[in-house]
Amino acid sequence: MFVEYTWLVPLMPMICFLLIGFIGKKTPEKGGYIAIAGALISFILAVLISYEYITGDAYPDPVTKSIEWFVIPGSTDFVLNLGYYVDGLTCMMMLFSSFISTLIFIYSIGYMHDQGERKNRYYAEVSLFLTGMLGLIVSSNFLEMFIFWEVMGLCSYLLIGFWSWRHPDGDAASANAASAAKKAFLVTRMGDVCLMAGLFILLGEFHSLDYTTLFDPATIALADPEMITLAMFLVFGGVIGKSAQFPLHDWLPDAMAGPTTVSSLIHAATMVKAGVYLVARGYPLFVQNPEVMLFVGIIGGVTAIFAASMALNNMNIKKVLAYSTVSQLGYMILALGAGGYLIALGMDMGGAEGATLITAGTAGMVAGCFHMMNHAFFKALLFMGSGSVIHAVGTEDMRQMGGLRKHMKITSMTMLVGCLSIAGFPMFSGFWSKDLVLEIAMEAGHDGSIWFTVMWVLAVITAFMTAFYMFRMWFMTFMGEEGEATKHCHGESPKTMTMPLVILSVFAFGSGFLILFGLDSLVSFTVTDTAFIVGGAGAHGAMYYFEHLFTNVYTYLTIVLALVGIAIAYLMYAKKSINPGKFNRNGTSMLYNALTKRWWFPDLYNQISWKLGAGVAKIVNFVDRQVVDGSVNGLSGAVVGGGDVLSKAQTGHVQDYSSIVLLGVAVLSTLFVVIAMIMGGM
Amino acid sequence: MIPIEYFLVLGAILFAIGAYGALTKSNAIIVLMCIELMLNAANINFVAFGAFNADVMGQAFVVMSISVAAAEVAVGIAILLNAYKLRKTTELDDKQLRSMRW
Repeated sequence: MFVEYTWLVPLMPMICFLLIGFIGKKTPEKGGYIAIAGALISFILAVLISYEYITGDAYPDPVTKSIEWFVIPGSTDFVLNLGYYVDGLTCMMMLFSSFISTLIFIYSIGYMHDQGERKNRYYAEVSLFLTGMLGLIVSSNFLEMFIFWEVMGLCSYLLIGFWSWRHPDGDAASANAASAAKKAFLVTRMGDVCLMAGLFILLGEFHSLDYTTLFDPATIALADPEMITLAMFLVFGGVIGKSAQFPLHDWLPDAMAGPTTVSSLIHAATMVKAGVYLVARGYPLFVQNPEVMLFVGIIGGVTAIFAASMALNNMNIKKVLAYSTVSQLGYMILALGAGGYLIALGMDMGGAEGATLITAGTAGMVAGCFHMMNHAFFKALLFMGSGSVIHAVGTEDMRQMGGLRKHMKITSMTMLVGCLSIAGFPMFSGFWSKDLVLEIAMEAGHDGSIWFTVMWVLAVITAFMTAFYMFRMWFMTFMGEEGEATKHCHGESPKTMTMPLVILSVFAFGSGFLILFGLDSLVSFTVTDTAFIVGGAGAHGAMYYFEHLFTNVYTYLTIVLALVGIAIAYLMYAKKSINPGKFNRNGTSMLYNALTKRWWFPDLYNQISWKLGAGVAKIVNFVDRQVVDGSVNGLSGAVVGGGDVLSKAQTGHVQDYSSIVLLGVAVLSTLFVVIAMIMGGM
Repeated sequence: MIPIEYFLVLGAILFAIGAYGALTKSNAIIVLMCIELMLNAANINFVAFGAFNADVMGQAFVVMSISVAAAEVAVGIAILLNAYKLRKTTELDDKQLRSMRW
């Protein structure tokens, strides 16, 4: 009885968006409470729907319903629908997105308190943002999903550029909000173009974009496998843009120009999760070709270590978190790629051996989705914590912080939970999912391609780096002697801000245990001859995972590496017994320079856009001004000039006119005579 | 008997001279005279066709035409005289005369 109302889940924030837009100014907090109510109702609906669906008879088959939107006539009609699609993945995404968004909106009441009239705009936009994410999650086909995908793109642009008038340090994308928003929009647009091209190919192959049609092995068998491969490569291009994967990752750190709550929303609950969700959702098509999955996995692994490296020496508290997001997204993509690779291999192989591979591969989907959920909790927590710090000290530079632990007890403790979680400290949520990710990468390296072993090595190094830079951040902010900004700190943030932090820290600690109580069943992926089913496979249960992780020597390796990372960070930034300057020649070494310059990626983007973009623009400009304008101007010039010349004939002399008349008569009569002669046959 | 071509050629030559004068001369009196020439070229053709067809209508029309031409010249000369009185010129290209144009 609730599943039929799944369409209400994205509609609630949409209604709030309109309400806030029209009457929000008159309500207290300029519509903040309306936004909270909308998100909360969506969350409650999501809970009811998920409960009903999971306990219902249909589970694990998806519950879907569509109405026809429009039809493109052809030899076979292209039918495009609107509808909802509920399965295990939808439930999980819906639950954590709306839950975290609710908390972020509550937190916003405190964080955005002094923004005055502009709060109205803020709350309207975040509501629309949530609409985009929830709509994307419950969509029943790729076109509908793409529309919400673009809604999110728009909202991210608006929200990153929320403080668009601030230009303190010039016009570079890293220096002001307006340019950062533009960069985010344009870079993700690159991916979106790929995604759209992929969807066109899928539409051409399947004559439909409905998940039910596309995810049916019977219809997939009829389609051209090469076209599906191409389409999935292009779709993954969209994921690279949206989820900030290498090489389109560079917009995400700049996106920190927006309010911290927006960063939190983008990184934890919405936006970047959409890319990972798309891979998970498109799994039945992605696993058709191992090459696609290998590419996915490699991109994920490279992104993970690449982004982590840049977080190592960043001094901006938010940028460290931004890089850690990119890095963690790399983990998710790596897990999905590794698992999918095994499934694809298994499907190619067939038989009992193939079935074993497929079973092993489904752990990749579980690991990716599980890490996505855990990441949502601890990253929302970390961002809100950093927001609380920034709120109190008024700077984002960690060198000016330090010693904040005594001033902000709740913030420092909750952030410690988040840091432990992301660093993979045993029993914290990040530990469970990260080790599952590493394990599936290992497995894919073992049974599949050597590339995944390389990716596993990179991922393990990344785990060490993650522990180091997260605790570097925490120690620099909360420990050590008091910095410049700490001296005029306002003290702990208001309750609307600390309350969500406390709630989230509970989840950031505990969400990992969900895997022990059957979360793996919800997002499992079963391949049969007649269907691809998400969810419903038997849960492994607590004992399996305990045994699995704690009898595995590599688990201890990552634990030790994480502890070493934390220890080094402690010695460097809290106890200060090791001087970090020793390793980078006080910030002059090549590597340090490369990291500060973000591996020259912003320069690369600039070069590409200046050389290629401006070159193309110049050609277009030439064609427009010279060819298009030229022909139009030439035509009008010819008419004006011709008129000028011909007007000279109008002398005003009767004699001239009569000469012309006479000439005309003479010519006509000659002609007449000639024609008469010819016609007369003379 | 003189063949009809002779009359027609004479008429054509006369018309051509008249047309040339009317179109090129700048003196209004000469233009008027040239117009007379053209009229008379037409009259010659009338008479010639009338004679060769043994039709008296040709000559009757010529009489009519001559009287109309006389009236026309009278009106033309009258205008010209008045124009001369006012502007002291009969040159068509003259600024004085051109300024009478509407």
